[in-house]
Amino acid sequence: MQLRSHTTAGLWFVLPAMLVVVALLLYPVLSSIFFSFTNRNLLKTVYAFVGAQNFLSVLNSRDFWNAFFTSIKWTAGSVLGQLVVGLLAALALERVPRFSGLYRTLLVIPWAFPAIVIAFSWRWILNDVYGFLPNLLSAFRITNGNVSFLADPQLVFAVALAINIWFGAPLFMINILAALKTVPRDQYEAAMIDGANLGQRFWYITVPHVRRVIGLLLILRTIWVFNNFELLFLITGGGPAGLTTTLPIHAYRTGWGLRQLGMASAITVLLLIFLLVAAALAFKLVSRWERTPAR
Amino acid sequence: MSLRAYRPLTALALGAGLALSTFASGALAQDDLSGDLVFWSSFTQGPRAEYMQRMADKFTAVHPNVKISIETFSWNEFNTKWTTGLAAGQVPDISTALPNQVVEMIDVGALVPVDDVIDAIGRDRFAASALLEGQKDGNSYSLPVYSHAQVMWYRKDLLDAKGLAVPTTWAELRDAAIALNDPPNVYGLSVPLGTNDFMGTRYLNYYVQSAGSALIDASGRADLTSPAAIEGINFWVDLYKQVSPQGSINYNVLDQATLFYQGKTAFDFNSGFHIGGVAANTPDLLDDFAAAPLPRLKAGDPIYGGETANIALVAWAVGKHQAAAKAFLESLYEDADYIEFIHSVPGGMLPALSDISQQPAYQDNDLLKQFASSVAVIEQVIPLGSAIGMEDGPKIQAGIITSQAVIEQMFQDIILNGTPVETAAQAAEDKLNELFVAAGAVFTD
Repeated sequence: MQLRSHTTAGLWFVLPAMLVVVALLLYPVLSSIFFSFTNRNLLKTVYAFVGAQNFLSVLNSRDFWNAFFTSIKWTAGSVLGQLVVGLLAALALERVPRFSGLYRTLLVIPWAFPAIVIAFSWRWILNDVYGFLPNLLSAFRITNGNVSFLADPQLVFAVALAINIWFGAPLFMINILAALKTVPRDQYEAAMIDGANLGQRFWYITVPHVRRVIGLLLILRTIWVFNNFELLFLITGGGPAGLTTTLPIHAYRTGWGLRQLGMASAITVLLLIFLLVAAALAFKLVSRWERTPAR
Repeated sequence: MSLRAYRPLTALALGAGLALSTFASGALAQDDLSGDLVFWSSFTQGPRAEYMQRMADKFTAVHPNVKISIETFSWNEFNTKWTTGLAAGQVPDISTALPNQVVEMIDVGALVPVDDVIDAIGRDRFAASALLEGQKDGNSYSLPVYSHAQVMWYRKDLLDAKGLAVPTTWAELRDAAIALNDPPNVYGLSVPLGTNDFMGTRYLNYYVQSAGSALIDASGRADLTSPAAIEGINFWVDLYKQVSPQGSINYNVLDQATLFYQGKTAFDFNSGFHIGGVAANTPDLLDDFAAAPLPRLKAGDPIYGGETANIALVAWAVGKHQAAAKAFLESLYEDADYIEFIHSVPGGMLPALSDISQQPAYQDNDLLKQFASSVAVIEQVIPLGSAIGMEDGPKIQAGIITSQAVIEQMFQDIILNGTPVETAAQAAEDKLNELFVAAGAVFTD
């Protein structure tokens, strides 16, 4: 009885905050869905319902599909790269006997900077005329002349991906490192006595302890990276030749440049549906992975 | 003393009383100005921002019932603020505005006419072309506050070293840029084609303008397949391949200007803002560069206005204190104050009032004296040009052609994918026309 009355009172206390959060969460989603069925212009208050016309236009647009597949490549490459780099960095840091706190702080720096600072710094570093990296590579005769990392169609996507991996890996590193700290040492010692090699110790002891964290991070980062706009836009502007135009950049151009709020909303609704399906599948896979007993 | 003797005194008292009451009613009329005004200013740099604040304080000192709060945003932020705020009525009483923004604002009825302010300042003091950019149905909705125009900047020292003359035609420019090209020390010219800016559109527009044509034709359609446009596309693609840094395919205006400030390009195209940019970044170069009119198609062709930007002030329709807002706008054009404002970016901001540049107080500036001939070139072309796509007056298409990076994508497609120029130009033209229609543009045939 006592517990129930406490619970009820507590609910009343958190209700206003919950209402605000739900409203802030739901309003943009619901308004996007609503406007996706209209010809709403950003600057005009008068609009009409156009049914599924926006969706048909978007789905018949080559630009949309190009941006969609670029988004898939961008997200998969970024998240997997961040996982590998973050995991390796965490494993390395866990073995560092001295100054591990200092190294951890240094490695987390990319995550601490705003995207705009990172983007402009990299644009500066990679500029093919006065940029530090092309001039350095050229001076050491590693390259024949200054390489234009952000203009070469063979390089630009990989370079942007590398920057995003550098930017996002610290989040994986910190979380995996925290999970690694919870692995009982005696399990490793027992495995070593039993003759398990490094790979076996990693696969049968380390991975089962960190996979829950990794699974969650993979899902969250997939959603964030898929939706991310500013870093790529500020570095490449979606170019050259549309090679780095992702769906958020395409939606931005439609919504802000053309003021076609209805059309931009249709793009974001399609993006939302895709992410919901992808997240549901990912949750299912991750939970199955987590349930798999470690052998 | 008889009553008659008091008559003159009575008359004097009555006269004085009448005069006082007239004065009082005049003062009252002045004091009628009241209200809290919000001014969205895009003058983010120190001296310009400080000037606006001083002017607001000065206005409030004269009109104590008017409070002006200035909110300063970059142009990008401003664009986000007004477009999202309009539907909710969350826009200011007055603001700065770019020509393309003015067109959109007029189109949705967001502004009030400012003809009364223009007339009070003196309509004939403004360039007709500058006023035209903010006019619809015979009303003026924007007040040009300063202007600048695109010109060709060149390195005098590099030309002298090679014994070359300042190019006056596109062909001469090509030859000079090739002659001076010495990468990685100096590039003949950078051709900026990044999709996060409209520099490719700007450069193509120069060429097309030099042929007496335009990127948006009289009917309002995009025209990228005219002989002049095709020739222009070929010209810039060729120069990109011959003398431009490879990375310039992704450059925006800042990347491009930085190269010139660092002395890495022999030629560049920009407004008089280059003077301040070089002064701030590489003062050693100040004696080594100057401006010339944009190259012409043929020797002997007249000088033309490639692109003029008339930055404007506007009064918003939602404002509840229109009289105070307009009085404040008018106060910004008092000669002495206005000259101080224009001096905050010498050579970059040129007076929107034609007579100001003749005034000794305006000419009394070290940078303006040093770059007198360059500034004269810019002043010459300002009244000849307009914003890209607004040659025949305000058009909604002008905003689209500079915001959607269609022309930049076309250039990138030609250079990186090897798409034939005519094919890429036709595709870009079709795409732009689709976007114009989607935005509600009506073509006039």
